[in-house]
Amino acid sequence: MPGKVNCREASRLLSVACERELDTGESDALQYHLGRCLMCRNFESQLRFLRKAAKRLPSQD
Amino acid sequence: MSTPVTDPRFAEIESHRPYLLRYALSQLRDGQLAEEAVQEALLAALESIGSFGGKSSLRTWLTSILRFKVIDLQRRASTERLHFDAGDFAAESEDEAWLDELFDETGHWRIPPQAWSDPEAALEQRRFWEIFERCLDRLPGAAGRVFFKREILGEGTEAICKDERITASNCWVILHRARLGLRACLEKNWFGGTANAG
Repeated sequence: MPGKVNCREASRLLSVACERELDTGESDALQYHLGRCLMCRNFESQLRFLRKAAKRLPSQD
Repeated sequence: MSTPVTDPRFAEIESHRPYLLRYALSQLRDGQLAEEAVQEALLAALESIGSFGGKSSLRTWLTSILRFKVIDLQRRASTERLHFDAGDFAAESEDEAWLDELFDETGHWRIPPQAWSDPEAALEQRRFWEIFERCLDRLPGAAGRVFFKREILGEGTEAICKDERITASNCWVILHRARLGLRACLEKNWFGGTANAG
């Protein structure tokens, strides 16, 4: 049974995952949470989108 | 040579000023110095607009001019005075009160993130980019600067930490804050409206 995290902690892990690889404990807890939380899955997609948009900004006319 | 103001491209160049200022701020931290760099870069750009071939985007070209001005100012500043104060900044990253505004005492979202409808389409709309930039400007100082370096300029966390004189975990806290702030701002000012309409 993976450790439990709440949305606040899940959002932190999702952001940290953009910077470094999560360890197994973190990753399992996050996946367990995401499996049950649509709001955090939305946040996860939004992070991907933010990264994509940010990359385009320097060449935006 | 014509006076700069009469060049029809003046307005177009000028429209990139907010982006350029954010770039300069991310590198120089000092508002006045950043303004100075942008001003010099825009003047230089107007003088040499004839050599801009349109191979890259105008913004890319302007940024490359600005980059030199920034390096120049950094050099001058380091020989003169300017020792960046890292103190305020560590405090900013350690204070987690801002998280309490976004999450309740049980750690749930106070305002749950929505599913954004067709985010790809937003990337093609000029109005979206205006809002994106405005949302960037609303991020608090350190968050805006670190996010800009990390995600917009694509710098590595290590280089940013060194530059900002913070630890990696401080950097992650700041980025977490920036991402939460930016997504909330976009949802409120762009995706919220379109999602509700759809």
